[in-house]
Formats: sequence, C-alpha cells, structure tokens
Amino acid sequence: MMDNIILCLCACATWLDIAMVITLCVLLLAGFPASFTLAGVALIYGLLGLAIGAFDPAFIADPFPIRIFGIVNNDVLLAVPMFILMGVVLERSKIAEDLLDTMARLFGSVRGGLGISVMVVGALLAASTGIVGATVVTMGLLSLPTMLRRGYDPSLAAGSIAAAGTLGQIIPPSIVLILLGDVISNAYQESQLQQGIFAPETVSVGDLFAGALIPGLVLVGLYISYLILMAVFRGHTSPAVPAEDRFAVGEAMSAALRTLPAPLILIIAVLGSILTGKATPTEAASIGAIGAILIAGGREVLAKGPALLLARAGLAAIVVLILLSETVDLRLGRAVTSGTEKAGIALAVLACGVLVTGIAAALWSLLKDDVLKPILAKTTQVNGMVFTILIGAALFSLVFKGLGGDETIARALSATPGGAVGALIVVMVVMFALGFFLDFIEITLVAIPLVAPALLTLGIDPIWLGVMMAINLQTSFLTPPFGFALFYLRGVAPPDLRTAQIYKGALPFVGIQIFMLGLLAAFPGLATWLPQQIYG
Amino acid sequence: MMTVAVFLAGLCALLPLLGLTPLAHATAPIVKGLSAIFQRIVMAGFAIAAGSGLLIALTQLATLITRNFFGVNFIWLQESATYFFGAMFLLAAGAVLLQDGHVRVDVFYSRFNAKQKAVVDLAGLYLFILPVCGLVLIAAGPYVAQSWATLERSSEESGIHAVYLLKSLIPTFGALLAMAAFVRARTLCEALTHVSADQ
Repeated sequence: MMDNIILCLCACATWLDIAMVITLCVLLLAGFPASFTLAGVALIYGLLGLAIGAFDPAFIADPFPIRIFGIVNNDVLLAVPMFILMGVVLERSKIAEDLLDTMARLFGSVRGGLGISVMVVGALLAASTGIVGATVVTMGLLSLPTMLRRGYDPSLAAGSIAAAGTLGQIIPPSIVLILLGDVISNAYQESQLQQGIFAPETVSVGDLFAGALIPGLVLVGLYISYLILMAVFRGHTSPAVPAEDRFAVGEAMSAALRTLPAPLILIIAVLGSILTGKATPTEAASIGAIGAILIAGGREVLAKGPALLLARAGLAAIVVLILLSETVDLRLGRAVTSGTEKAGIALAVLACGVLVTGIAAALWSLLKDDVLKPILAKTTQVNGMVFTILIGAALFSLVFKGLGGDETIARALSATPGGAVGALIVVMVVMFALGFFLDFIEITLVAIPLVAPALLTLGIDPIWLGVMMAINLQTSFLTPPFGFALFYLRGVAPPDLRTAQIYKGALPFVGIQIFMLGLLAAFPGLATWLPQQIYG
Repeated sequence: MMTVAVFLAGLCALLPLLGLTPLAHATAPIVKGLSAIFQRIVMAGFAIAAGSGLLIALTQLATLITRNFFGVNFIWLQESATYFFGAMFLLAAGAVLLQDGHVRVDVFYSRFNAKQKAVVDLAGLYLFILPVCGLVLIAAGPYVAQSWATLERSSEESGIHAVYLLKSLIPTFGALLAMAAFVRARTLCEALTHVSADQ
C-alpha cells in the first residue's frame, strides 16, 4: 500500500514540470500581466512540489532573493534602462518624426522612395530603441497616413511598416539582443560545465551585436530590394510624391543637414564604440542616453536662446572628448606629462565642464517644456515591466528546474531524430509558435534559458544560435494572423484599412524572413564571421 | 516572526474584497483611507525610481569619462549606478501595476467586457501577486537580516559600504507591490459593484 503511494507520488513528480508549462500557457491566455502569471504559477507548483517532497523549501526560498539581487548587480542588464531612455527621448522629442519627414521629402520624388525612406528610418529607429511595439506604433502613426495619402497600395504600406518595426529586434543595439546575450552566455557556461569544461569560453553581448549586424543589414537590403522591385514592376503600388509637394533641392538638402547628422552620429558613436571594443554596451548606452537628451535640448522646437546653444555645445564637447582621448594620453596621476599632454588634459577638463553645463541646460529645457517628466515616467514604466518579467522568470525557472524540467527538456531534445539539426528545428518551430502569444522579452527570458543549454551541448555555435533565434522570433511577430507587430499596427491604423490588407501586405516580408533564415542556416558565417574578426 | 507578520498583512489585504459583501458599508472608510495612504507610498516609490533612471545614465557617463579618458577609477561612482538601477526597477514595479503598464497576453483579454476584465484582474491579484509578495518578503527576510547584522560592506575597499540598503530594496519591492495590489483591488471591487448595480 505504502509502496504504491510512493510510486504514485514519484510518477507525479516527473510530469509536474510539463503540467507547469501547460498551466502557464493556459493561464497566460486569461490576460493577467505575464510577469505575475509566471511568478504565481511557479509559486503554486513550488508548493505542489513541496507537498509531494520533490524538493525542500530552502530550494526556492534561499536562491530567489539571490537571483533578484543578481539582476540588480548585473552590469550587462544595466544597459537596458539607458537604451530605453534613449529610445523614449528620441521618440518624445519628435526627432524620429523629423527624420522620417525629411527622408520622405528627400527621396519622395522617386517612385518607391517614400517606402524606402520608411524602411531606412525604421532601421535607424530600430537601432536606437529596439522595442518592437514602440517602433511599429510610432511608424504607424507617422508614416501610414502619409503613405496612404500619397496613393501607396494599402497592403504594401502596412506590410512595410510592420516589417520595418520588427527590425528593432535584430539590428543592434537592440534591447532584446542584450537580454538574449545575457541568457545565451549563461546557458553557454552551463552547458560547458556540464561537459566538464571548467575554463569555459564566454559569449558577450558585444559578440551577439557583432553577429547580428550583418544579418540585420542583409535583411534591410532584402526589404529595400523588394520595395524597389515593386516600384519598378508595379509602379502604381508605390507612386512618387507629386511635384508640388516636393522640396526644392536646396531646401531639401538643408533640411536633411539639419535633422539627419545628429541622430546618425549618435547611433554610429554608440554602435561603433561597442563593436571596436572601446566601450562596453553599458558604457555606450550612457553615451546614447545622454547624447539623445543633448540632441533633444538642442532643437529649436524644444529649447531657445542660451539653453539651446549650451546643449549643442555639450554635444560638441562629447565629440571633442572622444577625439582628444584618441590622440592624446589624458591619464591623470602620472609622473611625467609632456606639454601637449598638459594642454590636452586642460582642454579635456574644459570640455567636461561644457558637457556638464550642456546636460543641465538640456534637462532644464526639457523640464520647462513638460517633456522631461513624461519621458522619465515612460522609461520607468517600460523598465518596471521588463524587469518584473525577469523576476517572474527567475522564480519560474527555479521551480521548473527543481521539478526536473531541465532534464526533461534535455532528454526530449537529445531523443529528437536528426541530432542537433533536428533538435534545433523543433526548438525553432516551438519558439515561432510561442511568438504568436508571448512577447519577445518573455520568450527570451523564460523559454530560451530552458532549451539553450541542451542545444549548446549538442555543439551548436552560441552566436549563430542567438541570431537565428532573434530572426525566427522576428518572423513570428510578422506572421498573420497572430503576429504581434500586426496587432500593434492594427491598433493605430485607420479603420478603413482592412485587417486582411495588413495580413496580405505582411506575407511577402514573411517570405523574405524565411529566406533569410535559410540563408543564415546555409551560411552560418554571416553571423559568426564579424565577431571572429573583431574579438578573435 | 516574519512569517506571522506576512500572514497578518495578507489578512489585511483581503479587506478590499469585503467591498463585494454586505459588510461594504462598515469597511469602506477603512479601506478607502488605507488605499489612499498606500497609493501615496507607491507613487513616491515611482518618483524615486524615475529620478534614478536619469541618474543611472549620468553616473555611468561620469564613470566612462573618468575611467576611459582620464584613467581615474572611482569605484563608488561605478557602484552608485548599481544602486540607482536597483532603485529604478524594484521601486517602480508597484506603480506600474497601478498604471496598468505590465504587458498582457491580450488575445482574448482585449475582447472581454469590463466585468470580465475586472474579474480576471481581481483573481490575478489574489492568486498570483499577493502570494508572490508574501514569498518575496518571507524569502528575502533572512537574506536581508543577515546583511544588516554585519552591515555588509562592498567587496571593494573604496566602494559604497551600504550593500544592506541595496538588498533592502528586495523586500521593499514586495511591500510596494502588495500595497499597489491593495489599491488596485479596491478600485476593481468598486468597479464590480457598480457594474452589478447597473445591470
């Protein structure tokens, strides 16, 4: 009798992990915030696990606060709030809007030019914010009405905007790549330790950025090629802007010179300093966030008089500081310094003073215009959301592993026919399906830590895996009828644009995405070559 | 000790639910008063969090300039970014709940009517959020108490020797979230009684 009961309980213990995942999926659909659903389901199954003796209370209660403290102490995740701040500043100070407007006027005279501008601005915005929802909504509000008014085919317009919005996931420095980098690097260490390698190799967020850069640019290239093909062979779908709405060439150039350089330099500075190894993603993020604030404070619509000039001077001071540090040895506290070095240090200190004044002036302008508070509130809200999911996911994975879930997954994946390739295909298909109802953040933080160690143990390259997963999820977000990007776009699109038209427009881009996945599978070098060149 | 306190706090958290019962008239003033106080505390947490968000970027830039350009390493400056980072997301979570900023899977939720939405939210508050707050408080209690007992110092000599304060943010997160849940529960119960009164 007793034996039977014990046997029964042990049998329960082996499927509790699977039941936990199923319960999570069902309860998530009820629509309660995902972060708390994750934590709550984990707690319920944790108690069940305790009741049947699968593990003891210390297994959850001890590591949970340590995990939370680990998030606080994580230098890589520290980059996330700063990149979010940068994105929100660029959006709220209407820099993105101006960028789009100028590009459209510059290229609108060519057939398909407006569509291509949308794609390019989408890529730039993506590079700066990395939040899919925000990019799709911004672009949908700004460019969809313009494209429709100019006689663009509604499907083509909607499809391009949705596709451009999802670029935020793959083009560095995207927030999802930072989260993915953190997750993959933990998984990689774990898998190597399990294989008995005690001096494990590491993957950094920088590696993942470098790995995603070429595939991201190829993807933008493919999108634009498609738009060009449409403009050439089906001209009526993407007409040129009528002559009376165009800028005179000189006027267009001057508008472009006013609005384009600052955001471009900012993005190049951030990305360049990460890829050349001059700064960590976290350090670069601070330049991005403060740089965006200075650019916003240097705009005529927001600031005027001395504050505007000070903000612009502050921006110049950053450039001076970077150039100085490249040419002169500025390190203090050395015994011998030459005359040039002394002059350089003096100039650098002066530049710092200008920078500080500039930041103060820019913040003052933003505060006076009532944009600073909304910017900070929005930034804090997005961060609170992201990191609460992280906390929920931490609890979920603790309980899941306590119930033996990681072993179940490893067994299932190694039993998949076709070895590593078969296991990878299964994981990709499951992730694609998850992308229909979970956000990238949740999938990255919950699902990937569970499957990645097993996949990496099968010998798959971590950088290539990360980039494949990123593109796969991006595809899932674009795929009708459940794709997230399409939902966001539906939310801001005018009612007379039918949902079917949005779906139809997205399909060619889904095709391009799948082609890209195939390309990357056939030529893994697209993702692995650049990190090797940079980091060796 | 901690567990008992958390349990008692949990009983208090049930108060808003009385708003759905005939006892509503008796408890409403207490619940209303508590909820107003909690809301203030939660929003104060949010204000600190929002300020910290800006300070992360400023201190991180200062660290970058002093270290990479001038070769001077201020460990306390570098560590302060961690303090602001912790304050930012741990103190914000409760307020984000009040602002309904936590991301949902809204495939079905968006089609629910007001009453269905309120029921889902209320159930989630009591089944998920409040128990999780309890877990955070109970689990973090000994962890933080130990840190306070030794007044835990930074591992770097010139760092910020207030790790115990940083760790205290974890139970604060649980407490703020629970207070936010209380406020939200009251709003939802009120909405539910109005919905039923209308029908």
